[in-house]
Amino acid sequence: MIELMQQGFGAVLTPYVFLLITLGVAVGIVFGAVPGLSATMAIALCLPLTYSMGPGPGLALLVALFVGATSGGLISAILLNIPGTPASIATTFDGWPLMKQGLGVKALGIGVVFSFLGTIFSIVALMFIAPILADLALSFGPHEYFSIAIFSLTLIATLSTGSLVKGLFAGALGFAFSTVGIAPVEAIRRFTFDLPSLNGGFAMLTVMIGMFAVAEVLKFAESARLSHRAKPQHVSMKGVKGFGFSMKEFVGQLPNATRSSLIGLGIGILPGIGAGTSNIVSYIVAKKRSKTPEEFGKGKIDGVVASETANNAGIGGAMIPLLTLGIPGDTTTAVMLGGFMVHGIQPGPLLFISQAPLVYTIFAALILASVLMLVLEFYGLRMFIKLLAVPKHILLPIILVLCVVGAFGLNSRIFDVWAVLLFGLLGYGFVKSGLPIAPFIIGFILGPMAETNLRRGLMLSDGSFGGFLTNPISAGFLILAVASISWHLVTVIRNRKSAAIELMRS
Amino acid sequence: MDSYKRNELLAGLAMLGAGVFYLVLTLNLPRRGTVDAAFVPWMLAVALCLLGALQLWAWRKLPNKRAEPAEKPEAIDYPTVIKSVALVLLFTALLQPVGFVIMTVLYLYAQFIVLTPAEQKVKHLQYLLIAVVSSVLIFYIFRHGFDLLLPVGLLEI
Repeated sequence: MIELMQQGFGAVLTPYVFLLITLGVAVGIVFGAVPGLSATMAIALCLPLTYSMGPGPGLALLVALFVGATSGGLISAILLNIPGTPASIATTFDGWPLMKQGLGVKALGIGVVFSFLGTIFSIVALMFIAPILADLALSFGPHEYFSIAIFSLTLIATLSTGSLVKGLFAGALGFAFSTVGIAPVEAIRRFTFDLPSLNGGFAMLTVMIGMFAVAEVLKFAESARLSHRAKPQHVSMKGVKGFGFSMKEFVGQLPNATRSSLIGLGIGILPGIGAGTSNIVSYIVAKKRSKTPEEFGKGKIDGVVASETANNAGIGGAMIPLLTLGIPGDTTTAVMLGGFMVHGIQPGPLLFISQAPLVYTIFAALILASVLMLVLEFYGLRMFIKLLAVPKHILLPIILVLCVVGAFGLNSRIFDVWAVLLFGLLGYGFVKSGLPIAPFIIGFILGPMAETNLRRGLMLSDGSFGGFLTNPISAGFLILAVASISWHLVTVIRNRKSAAIELMRS
Repeated sequence: MDSYKRNELLAGLAMLGAGVFYLVLTLNLPRRGTVDAAFVPWMLAVALCLLGALQLWAWRKLPNKRAEPAEKPEAIDYPTVIKSVALVLLFTALLQPVGFVIMTVLYLYAQFIVLTPAEQKVKHLQYLLIAVVSSVLIFYIFRHGFDLLLPVGLLEI
């Protein structure tokens, strides 16, 4: 492992890759900081840049964007009281009061340092857990993969925001879209309307660029003409030593940071929920455990620490199922999966055997990106604040053009650009009708995995569905899938009177 | 009708509509046994229709007025959304024949104007400059830096 790690660092410390990671972190921070832009969008838009790079540099750039964007949200959370991404919602609770008390630099310093520590903690966990899990997953066959896909799908549908019915519907619809094209096993064409361009189905990236970036532009258009520009507060960096807080404060926060890291990591590993949930959960836990819970929300650094450590600890967590099973834990890792595939790499347990140096290059890139994030985000703060002031009516159309370039670049055909627009309109429709997007994306990605493994599994067990239940791991995941839906239903039915409302809103 | 309730009804109808549409398409798939290429689409079509129906059933049970006073809904500027969609469609349709550089300049310039907040002035010269610089820069970076053959269109000599 040490030798592979050395190789990994050797690969990322070349001037070219180092520069890519630096740029990736900086661009990521901007995407994280500007409300309305997200890590998912940053990765989806920068993917076309990696088409002509090798897998190592390309993936290093993508993980750098991931790290930068997850952390960048704290800048606008503290300076504007608007979370840059959902991962920083809880950072506003205490970050903004600190800012108003003139302690903005301290809040930012704490946020950045604990973001760094959360990321490093999760990368170390990833490095130790992933190889073990990959080893175990090597023995998985079609039965196990089918059940894991179904389990992940039900989990994301039930846990995502919005109602249970809408979550399940979004997941099923994503799955339905994945059935377009040539069917696995029999190779007959399905739902192609005799269009040769549809034989290969919709490309994963067109779905994601459309649902995330184009839909976001349309959503912005709703209120663009009525919007007032939020001006970031001025922060003076004069006379600031270190990161703006004392060693005593740092040491005092370590138990809180450890707890928040574990919460962030655990929630990050689960498919369907990630940093958007963990920052709030860890804030609530920190408040409950505190001796002075009444001070939370009034400018207590513990709140910033809990939120920022947890959201960044989700990075390593979300990478675990992605690298070992090929299952994305959230939408950001779903785009990462697209990045792997563009380079002809299929994440899964075999990755650790066939592409071990690449895996360790990713680990090294994650570590380097965290260090660069620590330095760039704090000391380059003034530059990022300036970028926050770039008006969105200029920024978003340029982003849309980049979406078109990215879609076109997939296969050099306009068809993919049309597909992006189709999914952009669909994504906007989702936003308007309250349907969650994440289950749709995960359904689209895991659908083919579920279907192919269902067919293969049935062939292995001579057409009998029993094979999925007699295999202990497969049965375990199916039971968990049923349990997660049942548990959700029971909580709804318990309060029968408002069952209908709950079903829609829960 | 409460706007929330109306939205939920529209969502339900759209969900059921999508389910039925997928079911009709699935009916046309050739069958070769119980578990064949149409098996998963069948399961999905049934699930989509059921979930759409469930959404409509739940809608019927919703109270006419929400118990808590609804927050003042944010104004939604649909004309701007429609204009933006039209611009994007036009951009895509003409991308191949007219070419990336010209279409991007035109699209960006028009889209900047459409999205400019009502309280701000439209700065034509600035917008045009940003549109030209972004378009040329993106074209050159991708065409020459990343070997992506963006359509040249009318500029092809």
